[in-house]
Amino acid sequence: MSWLVAAVQWQSRAVVGRHLRVYLRNWHTAFLPPALEPVTMLVAFGVGLGGYVASLTWQGRPVEYMTYIAPGLLAYATFMTAIFQSLFAAFIRMRYQRTWEGQLTTQVELRHVIWGEVLWAALLATMYVVIVAAVLTGFELIGLLDMQAPRLPLLLPIVFVAGCGFAALGLCFTALLPTIDHMNLPVFLLVLPMGLLSSTYFPLEHPALVALNAVNPLYHLAQCFRGILLGGPVADHLAAVLGLSLLLLAILVPLNLRLLRRRVLGD
Amino acid sequence: MSTLLDARGLVKHLGGRRVVDSVDLSCDAGQIVGLLGPNGAGKTTTLRMLYGFLRPDEGRIHVDGVELGRDLVRAKRSIGVCTQDDTFDGDFTVEQNLTIAASYFRPRPHGLSPRVAELLERFDLAGYAREKPETLSGGYRRRLMIARALVHRPRLLFLDEPTTGLDPQARMGVWDLVDGLRAEGLGIILTTHYMDEAERLSDALTVLAHGRVVARGAAKVVLGDLVGEHVAVVAGAHGEMIAAWLSARGRGQAASVLGALHVPLSGEELADFARAFPSLRYEVRVPTLDDLFLKLSLRP
Repeated sequence: MSWLVAAVQWQSRAVVGRHLRVYLRNWHTAFLPPALEPVTMLVAFGVGLGGYVASLTWQGRPVEYMTYIAPGLLAYATFMTAIFQSLFAAFIRMRYQRTWEGQLTTQVELRHVIWGEVLWAALLATMYVVIVAAVLTGFELIGLLDMQAPRLPLLLPIVFVAGCGFAALGLCFTALLPTIDHMNLPVFLLVLPMGLLSSTYFPLEHPALVALNAVNPLYHLAQCFRGILLGGPVADHLAAVLGLSLLLLAILVPLNLRLLRRRVLGD
Repeated sequence: MSTLLDARGLVKHLGGRRVVDSVDLSCDAGQIVGLLGPNGAGKTTTLRMLYGFLRPDEGRIHVDGVELGRDLVRAKRSIGVCTQDDTFDGDFTVEQNLTIAASYFRPRPHGLSPRVAELLERFDLAGYAREKPETLSGGYRRRLMIARALVHRPRLLFLDEPTTGLDPQARMGVWDLVDGLRAEGLGIILTTHYMDEAERLSDALTVLAHGRVVARGAAKVVLGDLVGEHVAVVAGAHGEMIAAWLSARGRGQAASVLGALHVPLSGEELADFARAFPSLRYEVRVPTLDDLFLKLSLRP
């Protein structure tokens, strides 16, 4: 179980600290995507598509389309931030910048590098969600959204745990794919379909998708956020998102360690 | 003199091949041990096991009295590593590279700011402290790599081909720095392909071939054991005649360099050679580590 203990050891925190230092140095550019993306999405989906849809029925009551997609945006930001950070940014650090190799010549071991990447991706997702939540609060203040904004801080621990699970998934592709060009495969075959077909931007009632979404942590994350922010059932979706995220970590972190030991250490 | 590195019976299999086979290696404080061998001899794998990057399949490694397999983190506190390739952190400046490297060690290096300033000064990097490492020349990048390996005050330093690709002036600059570190009592394990570098810097050599130690000791002892006391350089046109003479004595073929044959000989063999070829014109010189590599590369 040394792989699990590494999650709380100082070396993993040192790796996270390194990534945080780089991020904070570039905060003014790093701040823009999470701030602008929800504005774009709300305008495109909410104002644009919302002009045709206007409102839909959720949990037996009518909900404005823009209000429906606001929690979905938060879930989507969690998923995309964590998975892209562990896919592209981690791959660049591993392959091109050789940051991992430099870290491994110190008291940091590979299991700490992996946990450092997972925890950092989850922390970054949490920070992005804070920014997206601030933008959504602004939309609510001007009357474009109708949600329970004071409950937004409740989402943050859930974002962090789900972000860890998504990062472990992204890191698995980093361990397996030979070049950065191959990243298109998981992006177009898994990440984009999963991002859009998880009731993030529109409800999905097709029986096949409903069955698939039973084991889809992003679907449960979006529904859990909707329950918290719009007032609906939370417990089952919360249990599912936490359970599935921990399952992803329990399976994929040891697997990633094994794959990356071969790839990075040649062992 | 305290022993900083003591490795016994190291064995490593990679891809189903036994790439390191029963290797022993030791290094004392204030000593530079050169680890040599042709490509594929197992140098890098041995080195990677010694600094805890790879786990040996068999054997034990003690660093400053701590067994690597039992307490890797504690053992690595005493180790500094300068890898063959540049692995500095491109997201940070030269100065920040030293402080970020220090953050990967516990106990934290005490007096970090003065230590970083001292290293920048000593390695002539102070003028580049706020520059990104990729803007540095090859020689200064190497300096940064060595400085980074020293930021936590290790007792044992691994230098993996530290001067590969550098011009002669930059190489000599690195030699001076390495020599100074030895004088301060650091134990240093050095791998290099430059034979003059190994001869000038190393107090002792360990030579690997096909994963095994084939010689160890001072450079002259190693050369005497493996090559001989003399090398006769003969024009390649006499190749068949020389090959027949060597074959009759149960010796393998001589190395051919730029059309000339380089025949390693003991004192007795040189006398026999002179008697066998009285009218042949040839040059006799002292052997170098290049001859050793040529000889090892001709081994089956």
